[in-house]
Amino acid sequence: MHGDRSLYILFVLGCLLTGLLILYPAYYAVQLSFFDADSFISTPTWVGLENYKIVLTDPEFWAALMRGIVFAGTAIVLQIILGIGFALILDSAIPGKAFLRGITVLPYLLPTVIVALIFQWMLDDHIGVLTVLLQNLGFQEAATWANSPFWSMVLVILVSVWLWTPFVTVCFLAGLQSVPEEMYEAAKVDGASAWLRFWHITLPQLRPVLIVVLLLRAIWMFNKFDIVWLLTGGGPMQGTEHLPILAYRKAFDAFDVGIGATISTISFLILSVAILVFFWKFPIDEKS
Amino acid sequence: MKKAKGQPSGTMKTLPTRIGIGAVAAAMVVYSFFPVYWMLISGLREYDALFSSISLVPGPFSIASYTQLLELTDYPTWFLNSVLVATGTVVITLALAIPISYAVTRLAIRFKVAIVGTMLYAYMFPPMLLAIPLYSIFVDIGVSDTLFSLCIAHTTITLPLGVWLLWGFFKQLPFDVEEAAMVDGCTRLRAFFHVVLPLSLPGIVTVAIFSFLLSWTDYTFALVMIGSDSLKTLPAGLDTISGWYELQWGELMAGSTLIALPLLVLFLFLSRYFIHGLASGALKG
Amino acid sequence: MGAAAGTAAVGLHAPYIHAKQKEIRFLNGEPSVQSVRAMRFAAAQYEKETGVKVQMDTVPAGKAFEKVQTSIKGGKPYDIATLIFVGDVLLLAGENQLVPLNDIIKKYDWGPNILFPMDGNNYWYPYDYNLCWINYRMDLYKKAGLKEPETWDELKQNMTALMGDGEDKTKQGIVHPIASSGATNYTSFGYLWANGVSLLDNDWNVILDDKENLSRTVEYLENFQSMVPMMPPGLAKAGWGILVGGIQNGQLSHCPGTGRLIDVINVKNSELASNLGIFPFPSPDGANVALNHGYDGWVVLDTAMSDEALRFMEWFSDEHLINFLHTSPVHYQPTRMDIYEDARWLSHPDIEKFSHITSWQKRFLTDENVIIKSIDTEGPYPDMRAGKIFRSYALPEMLQNKVLKGMPADECVKIAADKMREVIAS
Repeated sequence: MHGDRSLYILFVLGCLLTGLLILYPAYYAVQLSFFDADSFISTPTWVGLENYKIVLTDPEFWAALMRGIVFAGTAIVLQIILGIGFALILDSAIPGKAFLRGITVLPYLLPTVIVALIFQWMLDDHIGVLTVLLQNLGFQEAATWANSPFWSMVLVILVSVWLWTPFVTVCFLAGLQSVPEEMYEAAKVDGASAWLRFWHITLPQLRPVLIVVLLLRAIWMFNKFDIVWLLTGGGPMQGTEHLPILAYRKAFDAFDVGIGATISTISFLILSVAILVFFWKFPIDEKS
Repeated sequence: MKKAKGQPSGTMKTLPTRIGIGAVAAAMVVYSFFPVYWMLISGLREYDALFSSISLVPGPFSIASYTQLLELTDYPTWFLNSVLVATGTVVITLALAIPISYAVTRLAIRFKVAIVGTMLYAYMFPPMLLAIPLYSIFVDIGVSDTLFSLCIAHTTITLPLGVWLLWGFFKQLPFDVEEAAMVDGCTRLRAFFHVVLPLSLPGIVTVAIFSFLLSWTDYTFALVMIGSDSLKTLPAGLDTISGWYELQWGELMAGSTLIALPLLVLFLFLSRYFIHGLASGALKG
Repeated sequence: MGAAAGTAAVGLHAPYIHAKQKEIRFLNGEPSVQSVRAMRFAAAQYEKETGVKVQMDTVPAGKAFEKVQTSIKGGKPYDIATLIFVGDVLLLAGENQLVPLNDIIKKYDWGPNILFPMDGNNYWYPYDYNLCWINYRMDLYKKAGLKEPETWDELKQNMTALMGDGEDKTKQGIVHPIASSGATNYTSFGYLWANGVSLLDNDWNVILDDKENLSRTVEYLENFQSMVPMMPPGLAKAGWGILVGGIQNGQLSHCPGTGRLIDVINVKNSELASNLGIFPFPSPDGANVALNHGYDGWVVLDTAMSDEALRFMEWFSDEHLINFLHTSPVHYQPTRMDIYEDARWLSHPDIEKFSHITSWQKRFLTDENVIIKSIDTEGPYPDMRAGKIFRSYALPEMLQNKVLKGMPADECVKIAADKMREVIAS
């Protein structure tokens, strides 16, 4: 048909543009990992797979990977639990629903830089409102979180949860709207409690949403650089250093751009494999 | 809008239940809003009070932080640049995402999943690593250090998500609607404009909001693509001043408020679309 | 790929370029309002006099090297740029990206330890010393009858005397960051240098843990540990903000810092600023004093506009450098000895106001008992290895191991020394 051809052309154009803008930089990043270079403008020397050998045998890499998994995993689990909880509450007979919905989504709109600044201010040593609160409640160690790798990780996870849970909430809210009322009615007639209804009806119905949300959050949290960098810089003592931060440190502080690119590429490969496995176990059909 | 679940109609809620629900609602509000509230009142608090005491109540009131910030920085310029870039990004993203997603769902193109999946690749690399080669491309075609180049750079982040969301939307629109229009004599293109677009407006608005958000808040690309002071966007500007010793928490909170404010205002007007659209897109995607 | 397209583009536009105005691109690393104003003023002045446009871009100094790399890689390099690490200068010079400044440099008489020649060429025009000393509240000292400390114990006694509740007392004594950051590298190791420690010998071997240096570094660590109770909590995230804030809010009686601290406080609180005095880092026995070295400067890159850029630098150096230095009068300590006698420099009201500090500054450069050292300038000659040690944050980690993990001091030193060896070898 007529329209078909112009549509096809637009499509190809769009794909070409995307290819250039997305794939070329990705290719550049990957090929940089086969070189040794002090900086982005140094003349690079070819080292083949040497960088990969160095990175994969470096305990710093594995430690950072573990931390990344802990960070992303914990954050995702909390986001999903909290997100579903909020969605359930927002879907129930609670007053001021429209207003509540708006407020709940608010954190998601704030730029990461600003959230980092606000939390740093609230946790200021001397006069931070949260610091004083923690001290008054007796949590001395948490109040001086900056000295502790454990509490720094906790902080980073909690801020990530605060920031991005609304994404989960909104997805689930929509999902909840589409669960057929009759299923609940039938279950109630059978005497099922609220918890059972949730577990056996709501959750299975929301499986497709859950899968998509999990996938997207996993990719984003694993690669999250800004919030960790801004809050802790990867410290203290590398306590919050995960792969993106390690890559940055190698490329810009340690004068080793090749290694930085290698770490990024390996991280990308890990994600790709994880996604493939994910799609294999939870296939997303062409039809919804 | 479906009937609220969980409460058979006609039952009175008992007082403890209502208090319980109220408490939960209040807790949610505090949890989500407190940091923002704190940012707002800190920017408006008198300097000495800011550093000597903590008070949940706003005041003593002072706009000194704001005047200091506006006097010492190029905030209005940065604001304008951010608006231009974000708007441009939205336009380009929509111009590309709509045809791509539509084609993917309507035309017989092989490897659809692979194509859409490939777009996710942009998210898997650190932005800094992608920004540098991107910048070289812009230099080669002569648009480096322009707001336009930043729009294109931002599109690389917004496009994958935009295609993903719109794909979900177009998928759920049954073919019959356009078929009917085309049977009546419309070309596919006219059918698209007159029938499909209006129906997918929520999805388009969602993508627009997302793209605006991602562009407004980007820092890495703004740092790399733009050099001239007069072209800096808000995050780059904020970064310049956060290194100053002259400015401290009062001004930083004021600056943050000014950056967040437009987003909050935008959201107030478009929240319904945003929530609905995001949900539908993700649900079916 | 880019080169071919780029050359073609230039070829097409060649006649057009000749007709266009000449333009130099300058990357300024001093983003404070006054400094930017001074630079823009100089650019405007130069354009008026010569018709050559000078495009001023500003970034925080720490981001300047990244920006320079990006600009070179992108094919649109800056013609002049600010650099604050000798390692970065070396890297660019090694890649033949810089133009020597020998003609400009040899016109003047320079202070010690501030030019970093490579293979006999000077690629770098330093515009300030960024020395780090210890600031203190002169008014509190006077009220308590204290005098400037010359030994570690005297410093601790002074801090203790001033700590407490009450009007002329402060909550804590001092703060020294221990995070893995530039701030720590600059402000926390003055005592180490004063105690005569060197990191490297003349053959680039790490000697931090040899017999002499090991015992002195252990001494330094034990002393640091004993000062921790007098510091605020949260040392691991302390940065420049806490230094300035701490002394500005009356929380601290002392703090390490450069002149920037005083200039900044002077803007908001002139009275407090005039109550700030300085002294160099003391040693355990009072024999030596030390300052942590710091410096900022400009390089001229090898571009199509290099000749014009050199002309601008020469003009700026003669006509406008002093205006620029005045924008942060205590912080921009001159590097050229002639400026200290120059009436134009001396006539600034703040130079007069802080003459108790500026007189110290000149003494630092001429007194032999003053040790000026920094991690990134260690070693027999300027070399990237020192920069690598700086950025490996081996010494801040040594502090973290001692203060946060409570490890024995000599173990901390050995770990740091091994890390430095590893970093140099790579």
